[in-house]
Amino acid sequence: MGRGVFLGVVGTGVAGLFVGGRISHAAAPIGSVIPNALRSLAPDGWRIYSINPPWPTFNPAHYRLVVSGAVERPLSLTWDELMALPQARQTTDFHCVTGWSVGNVGWQGVRLQTLWDMAKPTAEARFANFISLEQPYVDTLTLRQTTMPQVMLAHSMDGKPLSQAHGAPMRLVIPEMYGYKNVKWLTHIELVGKLKAGFWEQHGYDVDAWVGRSNGY
Amino acid sequence: MDARTATEPAPEYVRRFSAAEQSLHWLLALSFFVMLATGLILYLPSLAEVAAQRALWKSIHLGAAIGFWVGLLLVWSSAPGELRAATREIDHFDGDDRAWLAWAVRRNRSEPPQGRFNAGQKMNTALVAGLMVVFTITGVLIYLQEVNARFRGTSAILIHDVAMYIAIPLVIGHLYLALLNPSTRHSLRGMTLGTVRRDWARRRHPKWEREL
Repeated sequence: MGRGVFLGVVGTGVAGLFVGGRISHAAAPIGSVIPNALRSLAPDGWRIYSINPPWPTFNPAHYRLVVSGAVERPLSLTWDELMALPQARQTTDFHCVTGWSVGNVGWQGVRLQTLWDMAKPTAEARFANFISLEQPYVDTLTLRQTTMPQVMLAHSMDGKPLSQAHGAPMRLVIPEMYGYKNVKWLTHIELVGKLKAGFWEQHGYDVDAWVGRSNGY
Repeated sequence: MDARTATEPAPEYVRRFSAAEQSLHWLLALSFFVMLATGLILYLPSLAEVAAQRALWKSIHLGAAIGFWVGLLLVWSSAPGELRAATREIDHFDGDDRAWLAWAVRRNRSEPPQGRFNAGQKMNTALVAGLMVVFTITGVLIYLQEVNARFRGTSAILIHDVAMYIAIPLVIGHLYLALLNPSTRHSLRGMTLGTVRRDWARRRHPKWEREL
């Protein structure tokens, strides 16, 4: 009987690996943004992931946001110049590919279109590489994705300057895609004609990381 | 010689757990609590910024898991026959054990006589052993799916979380019985020193005590 209990636990666990997603799918609230809302039981709230600790440090005197590559006019913006650009605000949800979410995050920042109006992408420009101060982190969007309505470069979160943990001074925000596309500690945007795999894409994660419709969800 | 020994006979002690059994228990206890602590640091949002060095906590978590399995192999190979016998003992539930499980819930009669392990201890051992295997399988999958997304598509994180939510109450119950509950806490001595008082064994584990 002891063996039966042991094998029962192991068997239930292994079966759960394959049906757990479906059960949590059925249990998810109707109309939820993520189909598998209970994919993980993790309590809601931020986890701070980094690939090359310690986190990069922000120095406003030395910080530059560089826009280069397939543009007519490359940019190298100082912190003051960035803050002087037209500001946008939004409240959106944040979803991690590992299953946790944070709802109603207030972001403030700059729309990508504002930068493109200044830098003027050439006809060759099709993808934007977002390069982090945390090397070698990089991720990409198509140029069209960068101007979707809720995409921005955020420097403020929930009414406060972005903290070091959340990617100070600037991070990309694209709520429709999983967190790994939302590059933190952003310092350089390079426009290119050919897609280059981002950090997690090199580990097999989807290039188009749509929430609820990619990475096995 | 103190005054007590003159009036009361010195308690007689009998060996309940072998060195290998004790080692296995403490190996599991140590690695479980290391994995629980580091796991919670990685899991709880309130600790997310404390866990700035996530990689460090992750290595300790994985190291403890590897340490557990390597230690298990080492201890097992030190006394394979003895531990196989203990496993058979835990596997075997007789009529008294089944009656004991009913008694544990209803308490409507006197305690059915138990062997070296009571039915609850057997049940706990089997459940915990199963959970350790489930933790390991899902943990390996979680590790692999971070290295490469083609290992995604199973509910490894969900099952790892569920296993934790089952293991924690089991461990809390185990700690209560071993440290606080008056009629069972003497068994802690068995797990630390290997021996228990004979009169306690006669009360709680009479079928085993009779054979000694």
